[in-house]
Amino acid sequence: MGDCGCDKAKAELEEYLHQELCSEDAADIRAHLDGCTDCAEEHTVGVQLTMALKQACAETAPEQLKDQVLARLRAVQATHS
Amino acid sequence: MTGTSVLTRGVGSTPMADDSDAFIDEALEYTDQLYAAAMRMTRNPQDAADLVQETYAKAYAARDSFTPGTNLRAWLYRIQTNTYINQYRKRQRQPYEAPLDDLEDWQIGVGESTTATRSRSAEAEAIDRMPAGVVRDALQSIPDDFRMVVYWVDVEGMSYAETAEIMKTPVGTVMSRLHRGRRQLRELLADYAREQGMKAGEKR
Repeated sequence: MGDCGCDKAKAELEEYLHQELCSEDAADIRAHLDGCTDCAEEHTVGVQLTMALKQACAETAPEQLKDQVLARLRAVQATHS
Repeated sequence: MTGTSVLTRGVGSTPMADDSDAFIDEALEYTDQLYAAAMRMTRNPQDAADLVQETYAKAYAARDSFTPGTNLRAWLYRIQTNTYINQYRKRQRQPYEAPLDDLEDWQIGVGESTTATRSRSAEAEAIDRMPAGVVRDALQSIPDDFRMVVYWVDVEGMSYAETAEIMKTPVGTVMSRLHRGRRQLRELLADYAREQGMKAGEKR
């Protein structure tokens, strides 16, 4: 059970990735990643997954939809004026 | 949205140039984001467009309950989520998938071990090269609750706390759904990469 910091790092890697850790904990993880290839690679996979998801989910609402929403809200608004 | 605006509304030549205009302007800035989330929820453009319309209609009707200066995006997502659960999810008649959080990983086909035995640098590279359509399909194929947590946190960059607010769950539930959702995605993408690798091998 030699504590190389991997257990803590692995447990907190996802929170680190999503910037949910306080600055001290984040600094601990960063320091660990600098010296541990295994955890650093695990982190890279996590980063790549997030990037892939962002790219895959980029979506623009159809212009027509924006117009429809606005028209609908204006209509409701008008009945209450 | 203040008490006094009720008194001034309808008086003078520009009665509607008030907080409801400001609300509409501000809320409409999130159309793309609500549409993208709706696509992840409903999985098709027509239902997604309907859901966005419904969400805005409900948001407008409930705008007095929104506190200006607070997180409008999260508030809109919350309304969208409720609308989706109440109307669309029921209509789609999907198999009941609610108590996922109580299931063990093996029951929903998630294994921790496989990724650990593969090279992680190869996995990262494979994800980087993954076609967007494959990533989208993988995301669509995981259970609703996992999918939306992954969507809000990873794609939208919401905090765990904001996501918990949208889903009305404890932060711990967000973390566990996120972890399991991401792990399922890794499995699916790894499977795809392996299949592609096999196909490439066959061609030789």
